[in-house]
Amino acid sequence: MDFELNDEAKEAVVKAREFANKYFTEEVAERSDREEQFPTDIVAISKREKILDFSNPWKVLVTIEELVRKDPGLGISVTISAFGAEIFMFFGNDAQKEKYMNPVFAGQKTLGLGVTEAGGGSDVANIKTEAKLDGDSYLLNGGKMFISNGQIADYFLVLARTTQPPSPEKKHRGLSVFIVDSKTPGFSVNKLHGKLGVRATNTAELIFNNVRVPKENMIGEEGKGFYYIMTFFNISRIYVAAQGLGIAHGALDRLVDYSKKYGEVSETGELKESLQLAIAEIATRVEAARNLTYKAASYLFKFTPNPVVTSMSKYYAADTAVFSTRRAMELMSIHGLTTDLERFFRDAKILDIWEGTTEVEKLIITRMMLKEEGA
Amino acid sequence: MEEEYEILENTVRDFNTKYVDNNSLKLENDTMGKDFVKMLAGQGFFSMTSQAEGGAGTDIKALSIVLENLAKSAPAVAVKTLLSNSFSTAVKEQDVLGAVADGSKSGTVTFSDLLVGKGQNGNLVLEKGRVSGEKEFVVGSDSDFIITLVDSGELVLLKSGFKTGKKHKKLGFRSIGFSSIVVDTEDFTILSKDGRKTMERMYEDLSIPVAAISLGMSEGVSQKALDYAKVRTAFGHYLKDFQPLAFDLSSLVAEMEILKRYFRDLLSSSPSQKEAMFLKHKSLTLAKDISRTSLQIHGGYGYLEDFGIEKFYRDSMALSVLFHSEEKDMEKLSGLVFESKAGFV
Repeated sequence: MDFELNDEAKEAVVKAREFANKYFTEEVAERSDREEQFPTDIVAISKREKILDFSNPWKVLVTIEELVRKDPGLGISVTISAFGAEIFMFFGNDAQKEKYMNPVFAGQKTLGLGVTEAGGGSDVANIKTEAKLDGDSYLLNGGKMFISNGQIADYFLVLARTTQPPSPEKKHRGLSVFIVDSKTPGFSVNKLHGKLGVRATNTAELIFNNVRVPKENMIGEEGKGFYYIMTFFNISRIYVAAQGLGIAHGALDRLVDYSKKYGEVSETGELKESLQLAIAEIATRVEAARNLTYKAASYLFKFTPNPVVTSMSKYYAADTAVFSTRRAMELMSIHGLTTDLERFFRDAKILDIWEGTTEVEKLIITRMMLKEEGA
Repeated sequence: MEEEYEILENTVRDFNTKYVDNNSLKLENDTMGKDFVKMLAGQGFFSMTSQAEGGAGTDIKALSIVLENLAKSAPAVAVKTLLSNSFSTAVKEQDVLGAVADGSKSGTVTFSDLLVGKGQNGNLVLEKGRVSGEKEFVVGSDSDFIITLVDSGELVLLKSGFKTGKKHKKLGFRSIGFSSIVVDTEDFTILSKDGRKTMERMYEDLSIPVAAISLGMSEGVSQKALDYAKVRTAFGHYLKDFQPLAFDLSSLVAEMEILKRYFRDLLSSSPSQKEAMFLKHKSLTLAKDISRTSLQIHGGYGYLEDFGIEKFYRDSMALSVLFHSEEKDMEKLSGLVFESKAGFV
């Protein structure tokens, strides 16, 4: 058991830190947040400088953590341009990988994933978007909600119903995943405004009105879409955990800085104990979240994913992000409210929700544990 | 509740229905507008603690009921009302009080003087009949009158000769000015030589009104979550049918109802400082907890401002920072609980 990152990952941390320090200025972060503006220029630079090295998932993981630690909105914007690409990797055919996945990994194209719907939320199998076979292509009708990269992606991987389920209890059957080019007639987008946080990221509603998708744009087998998406979530949740780690660590950084500068000291000249204990609690939670996340990642990156540990990592890191930002705000008082911690506080809350709510993660943990134990 | 307070509660509810509920996002994020402020003042909400002619005189109970009910719909409106009333407790000049009471002018108090360490919110120097310098973290910095501490310890009322300086980030109550003020004026009045002590008394008097806003926010946001959980379905059930959600929200609502009862009990008596601080401490924590849970119940929609949930998440934290200091309030509370200085190491 080795708790150290290897040298390559350590170098990625340094590279990400240098990049964030150079480009994630408070002015840019504040403007992107205020204007709900996707940082197109910074994302382009990050691609040029190959900040994300998709050939090494450990490097991707620690890069997300480090960039988000500097600023969540910008960090997530920079690291989400290939969102969903693992679906190509595991279930796409060679032609799809060549045409769609490789340009995304090369930083030439942006990908989005269309799963959540207005009435669906956590109930993924209950989606209403339909794809009907019409000659050599499918016609897509319906809509998707809260889609990251919605306005800027070149392609989307879209979950749609291709056949009716055999029974209401088996709704997860009959769903398929399609590659949809954003330039296809009938496809339109509404940007969502007024988010609480991660306002630099681009979030939109997608609308499919008789969108014609070639048959060859179906990923894998018809009817296996739910399985593909759940498999993907077991990967992406680890990266969301890394976002949580970054936010929590960022809050800790700011609280420690505040303590050095403004923290009240007692007669002994040391920081007052309530502040010391709060720092210790946040630091311990960050470390625990990191250990869980890296453990989940080590299973996954050896191609032996462990969904229990994955869900634990996502749930715990998200909770730690929310907890840490709240405690730091409470302790830093107006000094927290008037600095970028205010943004961290707003940004953190989405981690409780996206890629599986905290409640869903907890249910997965227990159900999988009981299943493994044969209960 | 006594009849007159029931009438007052109904008055605020009617006001919310007519002027706030359909406008709450603008009132929170954008601006209240002069007409709206005048309407608030016209209800007598700005002069509940005012000794001015036409003011209601100090009536914390009435003020708290108003704040609680305003906060259910628009916490920013409640805070605006709190600032006006807090200001009015310290001022005796009838023309100033009258102008704040009728909404033609506004007033605020720089409580940040007590919430951060000395000198951390700038410096104002009183010298040769002139106040000058810059004061940071002023909630209501767009006001016409400002009560503030100067470095030599006096509490002064600034009547003109100041302007807003550096704007601060606004987590909550975005329609209320929050910035530094740059001051250079001879137009001021000294309200107290021992200004810090006077301001501390004013701050202590905020405990129940701040708790009232916290409770109002808890009521407002939890009602939205209860309503949503009854109509939104997932996996073939209403959200309310799922144990984790129902248990979490019910537990928080139970806590809220207990605090509301305590709140009402305190209002019908003469609460001690300790009791008032108990209520403030627990109400602020509840508002943050219940806002988080209510947002969670709404899922992605809770994250969007149109659903009127996320503002409670922001405002509950902003309230607990702008009108409360964990370190200072808990030291004070510990001293009251132990009946001697406590919790300072």
